[in-house]
Amino acid sequence: MDNLIIEETKYTPLVRFDSDSHVLEIRGESYPENIFEFYDPVLDWINAYLEEISENQSVIVNIELIYFNSNSSKILMTLFSMLQDAAIQGKKIVIHWYYDEENDISLEHGGEFREELKSLPFHLIQVQERS
Amino acid sequence: MVSNLYAFKRDLNKRGVFFCFSGPVSQDLLVEIGSTLKHKMKLQEAHNLTAIRVFSMVVEQAQNIIHYSAEKCPKDNLLTETNEELSIGIIAVGYEDEHYFVLCGNRICNKDVERLRDKLIKLQKMNRDELKKLYREARKTGPGPGSKGAGLGFIDMAKKASRPLEFNFRKIDEEYSFFSSKTVI
Repeated sequence: MDNLIIEETKYTPLVRFDSDSHVLEIRGESYPENIFEFYDPVLDWINAYLEEISENQSVIVNIELIYFNSNSSKILMTLFSMLQDAAIQGKKIVIHWYYDEENDISLEHGGEFREELKSLPFHLIQVQERS
Repeated sequence: MVSNLYAFKRDLNKRGVFFCFSGPVSQDLLVEIGSTLKHKMKLQEAHNLTAIRVFSMVVEQAQNIIHYSAEKCPKDNLLTETNEELSIGIIAVGYEDEHYFVLCGNRICNKDVERLRDKLIKLQKMNRDELKKLYREARKTGPGPGSKGAGLGFIDMAKKASRPLEFNFRKIDEEYSFFSSKTVI
């Protein structure tokens, strides 16, 4: 299926989902005015992708969000739940949650997601501070 | 107003307010406030994390205004097909007693006051762990009726604040009240 690429804007993240390399990335900030308008196509793509890939396909999901609002948090939870369901079915899905070494908030958010998604491999990875 | 403007500014200064906006609140405004905050906080050598915390309160409160304010104005003077509107409210950011705070206010319908007041009173009484737990549960379930988002905004703010949320409802007339809230970081 086609890759999904949505360029970063002032208040929405870069979304780059590659169905050939099986690497899914979300990077930047997320606080769109209309959360469903932005994320419905993203969730639809994930749905279709998860149905299409084979039983034990490896998938890497890289998330690096400097800031995201409460609406985005709900969408991320929905996304992770979908990925968790796929992981339970046997697909090898791994989440990499990147956080800046000085950004305790991002680390805390990542930790909270990880705690709630017991069946989904979820790694918190520190990034060195960029100049 | 011209001769009173100094008194108005002085009053804001006295309250510790260094940024104040009253009018149509838009997404682009949020971006501008974000830049202003980051610049201001850099000047005061506040930790970058504080800027993110303050910004996150501004976003949640401003987006509440955008979604729920009962006072609107047309986006431009031409009648568009989508009839887009901007929401009207007031936002202020300040510094007092070594803490940053965010104030915001907007008009709401009287019929919505009860529900909102009950929700906020409940949040005021919770401690950090209870708020975290409530946040997790609310994040799993869907938004309530009439919600334009996840219904998590106030819980998120209460969770991040260093003190319980303060709020006030002031009746304007038979149809509307003015809702204002304050979060302290």
